[in-house]
Amino acid sequence: MNGKPVFPIPPTQRCLTAAALSLAVVLSAAAASAADSVPWAEKAIQKHVDFTELEGTLSAERLKALIAEGEHLFTARFTSQDGLGRPEATQAIIPTKRRRPSDVAFRRTAGMDGNNCQSCHNVPVVGGAADFTANAFISEGFESTEFDSLDPQFSNERGSVSLFGAGLVDLLGREMTKELRAERDKAVAAARRSGAPQTVALSTKGVDFGSLTVQPDGRVDFSDLDGIDSDLTIRPFSQKGVFASLRQFVVNAGNIHLGLQASERYGKRWTGTADFDGDDHADELSPGDVSAVVAFQASLPAPGRLVPDDPAWKTAAAHGEEGFGNLGCTACHKPFLPLDSLNFVDPAPYDTAGTLRTGEVEKPAVYDLGLLEWAKTLPRNDRGQILVPLFGDLKRHRIADAEVSHLGNELLAQRFVERDVFITAELWGAGSTAPYGHRNDLTTLDEIIRAHGGAARASRDAYVDCAEEDRSALIAFLKTLVIPQ
Amino acid sequence: MTRTMTIALFLLLALATPLSAQEETPETLPMDVPVMVEEALAAGIDHEYTGPWEYFVGGGASAFDCNGDRLPDLAIAGGTSPAALYVNGSDIGGELRFEEKPDALPAAARDKVTGFYALDIDNDGYRDLVTLRVGENAILKGGPDCSFTEANRAFAFDGGRAWSTAFAAMFEPGNTYPTLAFGNYVDRSAPGSPWGTCHDNAFIRPLEEKDTPDYSEPTALSPGYCALSMIFTDWNHSGEPDLRIANDRQYYREGQEQLWRIQTGRPPRPYRRNDGWQRLQIWGMGIAEADLNADGYPEYALTSMGDTMLQTLDDEAEPDRPVYRDIAFDNNATAHRPYTGDDLKPSTGWHAEFQDFNNDGRLDLYIAKGNVQQMQDFASYDPDNLLLGKAGGGFLESGDRAGIALPRRGRGAAIADFNMDGMLDLAVVNREAPVSLFRNTGGSNNGSKTRPMGNWLEIELQQKGINRNAVGATVTVKSGNETRTRKVQVGGGHASGSSGFIHVGTGVAERAQIRIQWPDGEWSAPFRVFANNFVVIRRDATQAQYWYPPVD
Repeated sequence: MNGKPVFPIPPTQRCLTAAALSLAVVLSAAAASAADSVPWAEKAIQKHVDFTELEGTLSAERLKALIAEGEHLFTARFTSQDGLGRPEATQAIIPTKRRRPSDVAFRRTAGMDGNNCQSCHNVPVVGGAADFTANAFISEGFESTEFDSLDPQFSNERGSVSLFGAGLVDLLGREMTKELRAERDKAVAAARRSGAPQTVALSTKGVDFGSLTVQPDGRVDFSDLDGIDSDLTIRPFSQKGVFASLRQFVVNAGNIHLGLQASERYGKRWTGTADFDGDDHADELSPGDVSAVVAFQASLPAPGRLVPDDPAWKTAAAHGEEGFGNLGCTACHKPFLPLDSLNFVDPAPYDTAGTLRTGEVEKPAVYDLGLLEWAKTLPRNDRGQILVPLFGDLKRHRIADAEVSHLGNELLAQRFVERDVFITAELWGAGSTAPYGHRNDLTTLDEIIRAHGGAARASRDAYVDCAEEDRSALIAFLKTLVIPQ
Repeated sequence: MTRTMTIALFLLLALATPLSAQEETPETLPMDVPVMVEEALAAGIDHEYTGPWEYFVGGGASAFDCNGDRLPDLAIAGGTSPAALYVNGSDIGGELRFEEKPDALPAAARDKVTGFYALDIDNDGYRDLVTLRVGENAILKGGPDCSFTEANRAFAFDGGRAWSTAFAAMFEPGNTYPTLAFGNYVDRSAPGSPWGTCHDNAFIRPLEEKDTPDYSEPTALSPGYCALSMIFTDWNHSGEPDLRIANDRQYYREGQEQLWRIQTGRPPRPYRRNDGWQRLQIWGMGIAEADLNADGYPEYALTSMGDTMLQTLDDEAEPDRPVYRDIAFDNNATAHRPYTGDDLKPSTGWHAEFQDFNNDGRLDLYIAKGNVQQMQDFASYDPDNLLLGKAGGGFLESGDRAGIALPRRGRGAAIADFNMDGMLDLAVVNREAPVSLFRNTGGSNNGSKTRPMGNWLEIELQQKGINRNAVGATVTVKSGNETRTRKVQVGGGHASGSSGFIHVGTGVAERAQIRIQWPDGEWSAPFRVFANNFVVIRRDATQAQYWYPPVD
């Protein structure tokens, strides 16, 4: 080449050789991508969030900025120019190629089924739950990756869970995992020392998870565990409680619903290609993008309590709260779980390869949720622990039986968890997030209570046998558990 | 017009260059490269495999637990130097540490040793050590606390006087004790030795109806072609393994690679040309087996001088016609010459083994390399290979980046997780050089600092009664749509047979369903496990168990 600039080609030398044509095509494509940075460009992600800046405890200012970036991503309407869509990949959370590229981009059933996060997380406000209209159809994405039927044989139909307080849920899960594993390790060491088998009951923050039997040589029998996975990781996210962290969930959901593949799982390191879903966009979600969305979700305030102006309501609610305890609801819907620390480390400590892990970054970021106004108002006990008012226990239970079977409607197990087992739904915010049930098909609190079978049957039967006014009082109480707006 | 023509030419050339099948290793590898830190001396292993001509070949090691703590210990051949047993005292997840147990091996079995294979022969729950020697082979019966007693007499085993360099074993249906096969090299006492004077190999079935193993009636596998590796392998997915032998063309006349048909109650007979078995003449040093394309039929890596072969069943193959074709070139696995350094002469390959070193769920291929002695026509700086499996098939060389490209003549090797952190470590026996002991410290990706790699499982199988470690079992690990397979075998490699946890990398998969096809063909129910665990599976148990290493 003679070293002179090639673009623009002077009109006098224009000539229709194939070479010149192809060159022109290349150049026009270059010109088009230059046009993407204009303010009216049809893409939501103009610039990926810079992950290298997320190190150590973020200052209040930096955290606020990151949350804003996360909110932008959470509410943005992504487009094909962001890489929305996954023509060659299934919804599976392990990168899995489709047999044939999809003939349609959007598919209400098998996905992608959305172009933004908030369309399914908006009741009563952005970050909340959803109506029945926004139900998702969850399938593992290995067999039957493409299904058009709503038949429960092919997928589990699920309503969206509210994300308010999710940061605290993530933190509780981590502390509980740590404690349970410490109990296990202690028993393993004790069995080795004593030369005799040990059975240890597992319990953390007042929640029991069954027991383990440990042999002196270090083998552990986990068949008597209750409501938790065999690796003793608390997985509090999704209706069934099968995902460990907000970060893992974001990476999963990005692929399932939006076809936006996070490079930390779908990227070159694990799949050999930066464009695993075959839509000509590489590394669609950067680690910084995921961190921003995680920070946004973690920052959503814990739902609180409405203090009714109406004195009748106030009285009824107080009476109902008492009944909530007397009926045994608090066995699973615990009013508080104590939390030691509000330091949200991102990446989280218990994720496995496929989600960014603490050990993979130089200096993990820490979002100090205590910097947020709403966190400062959370009650504390005399040991300084934050009392998280979630009305849940982060444990899975069987919720249906032969007679009370509405919540046993699913036909597919999910990630080793049987079809009629679900994690205790946190009731904080219940007053704001009708309808109810994992399929979002029960419009009143009264109906969802009556649908409690299985492990909750005794409490449910006691509720049904109550006088009308006592039942009404319980509803009055639950209706005070609201999401701040 | 000149400039336009230049542009046209440039574009045409750019678009016209074909992608060569044998690719150059790219600047940065897409996958994690395991960072292998050599620390033999610091770990307490100061050991060499030495000796004259008879010890140009051999040089094996076996990693297996002999003191019941599940940490793999090491038995290492020494040639004219004494063989030694090292007890593993590594920090869990930390630095490797071994301590030699001086009198573990009986004196008679300490010298002139070429290799070791570990297996529980007498079903007492302790792994025994088959000791290959230049001279009388020894079966060492294992006992508690890494104690071994010579059991040739007790097992009616005549160790012979041959120069033994290969071994394989399997439990044939209906037998209480395993069938043993010994590979012998040159018969030094035959006239004209060493040219054209390969010894016969030995095939020994235990006598039936006995309370202890009785190996008093061996069968000669004749002709022998100077075997350097043997393995019982179910090449045709029939449930009946046959015996494959890699032979060294250096000394045979009219020889070839061999596959012997093994049928219960009948003498072995070799597959011949009219069975579809093609004559392949290589300097066969080591056999590695794995099902690379998940079709149920194993592929084989055969090391040699020059090209490594990578064999897969041809389209013309049938259940009784073993027809193979070589796919090494297409998979970038020829490893035919040093991948680094100035020496462009052909390589000499020895031990080969398929394992997942970076836990990305894809099998990698390790090859020990080193000049026979000072062969002028072959590379003298000949570093070991670590070929990392790629997404979509094929391999990329990473030996230099991984840190294993030492100027040592590699021979046998033991691949095991010595510090129980889920990442496979590597012990290499070197001729006339120190044993290399590499600790896998994690992965480097695109120049990153060493950091955690993919998810993993390590699986231990237990049966009661006969064949306690389930030799011959198939382990399948299913995550999503991907099923990863391993076979429990005694044999293969170069004079090196390890036995212990079966390691399977699972990449980004967090859970798996494990199913075992036990040696008698019965399939287990699926066991559901979470990744990053040691899993103990006992036959007839309804649930798997996890095992936790001792933490200080």
